[in-house]
Amino acid sequence: MNNDLPISLLLAAFTGALMLLIPHISPHRYFFAITVPSGFRSSDAGRNSLRRYYAAVVCSVVIVVVTLVRMDRWPGELLALTAMLAPAILGMLAFLWERSQVARAAPPANRIREAELSSDDDRLPRWIALVLPPFAAPLAAAAWLRARWNEIPARIPVHWNAHDAVDRWADKTTRTVYGPLLFAGGLMLVVILLTLAMFYGSRRGRQRTAIVKMMVATVYFLALLFSAIAIMPAVPFTPTVLLIPGTLFPVLLLVWVIKVLRDPKMPVESTPDECWYLGSIYVNAKDPAIFVQRRIGFGYTPNMGNRLAWLIMGGFAAVIVGLIFTLPR
Amino acid sequence: MPPAAKIRIDLNSQVPAYRQIVDAVRVLLVDGTLPPGSDLPSVRRLAMELGVHFNTVGEAYRTLAEEGWLDLHHGRGAKIIARGVQEAASPERLLEFRVQLRNLVAQMRAAGVPRTRIAAELRAAMEGLDL
Repeated sequence: MNNDLPISLLLAAFTGALMLLIPHISPHRYFFAITVPSGFRSSDAGRNSLRRYYAAVVCSVVIVVVTLVRMDRWPGELLALTAMLAPAILGMLAFLWERSQVARAAPPANRIREAELSSDDDRLPRWIALVLPPFAAPLAAAAWLRARWNEIPARIPVHWNAHDAVDRWADKTTRTVYGPLLFAGGLMLVVILLTLAMFYGSRRGRQRTAIVKMMVATVYFLALLFSAIAIMPAVPFTPTVLLIPGTLFPVLLLVWVIKVLRDPKMPVESTPDECWYLGSIYVNAKDPAIFVQRRIGFGYTPNMGNRLAWLIMGGFAAVIVGLIFTLPR
Repeated sequence: MPPAAKIRIDLNSQVPAYRQIVDAVRVLLVDGTLPPGSDLPSVRRLAMELGVHFNTVGEAYRTLAEEGWLDLHHGRGAKIIARGVQEAASPERLLEFRVQLRNLVAQMRAAGVPRTRIAAELRAAMEGLDL
């Protein structure tokens, strides 16, 4: 049996489980990314939609599992890629099919808009300053590595395979040693700037503050994760250890997101259904908002009908691509 | 802290959005909910909140400024100013209001609202506004 098969099967099951969760990680006013009246989810039509979707996702996972078992001679990378992508693509197709069914039952869009006549809410909360302390972690890691420069071996591992074995090495240079820290610092700055762009480029609402909290937590996570990665050449430890916080953080984030989304007091933004494509891409040139509340998951998505959104997202994408080149290879 | 004043507009309405903004803000100005000295959101912010073009809000603010309610030279937003005593409306303007009122009353009657209810609504509207 191919050694990569068990991990690939687990990946397929995990991706399928995530796909099953998708209809539940949406603001309460949306069902399959369509605006629905309250109570629609628990109606017969809503329950039937969910049942059909669950059945389609489970079938797709079974098909992928059978395919993986039959094709176990495929290279490990291809097996893993198929295990992750195939259930996601098939699940997304089932989602879009149900979305079209729900759209037929949806009432005409409410086009009443409400706004507070106050300028009080346009300031970031004071606790945004909490994004600064995490920068101490990569700085401290850099200082620590500098002090132990001679203890770092001439060749350092930069990549591991699925079985925790090193499959790529690099020579000890300033770039290979400090690269992950530079990458972390850049990524943390991108997260902070993106938070500011979302805060000022979106409509008011409690979800804006909730997103800022999520971003602050992400900055702490990135700082600690990459600082740990950076000190690995001087303190060898198995990278599997990093899988614990690397898995725990997204899971905790997901639990928190579901809790926030189930809060009936959490306001939901009104955006026209016809401006949403594939349930997650918003294009509305008439809407001056640069970011709007997502319909799948929690957070904001750029309004692709707004030129400023293209400029901002293009700028961030360019910075992230540039940062990737700082990583050792 | 009292809740902030809110306005509502209906993007499906045949009344232009800028006119709905002017009317809604004027009600809050007349009844004293928005006192002189307080700030309105910037044009950009209010346009974003209502999902309308910046020019729509800009036009509404300019109309209110022409009526003497707003000072638009205060930064990027708009400051509410004390409006002083207004001259009595001209006979032409009074005629315009009369036509508007008659149209409104006719619409209410056509929608089946009884005369007594219309009179009560008009009285309540008068009492609700600080006149």
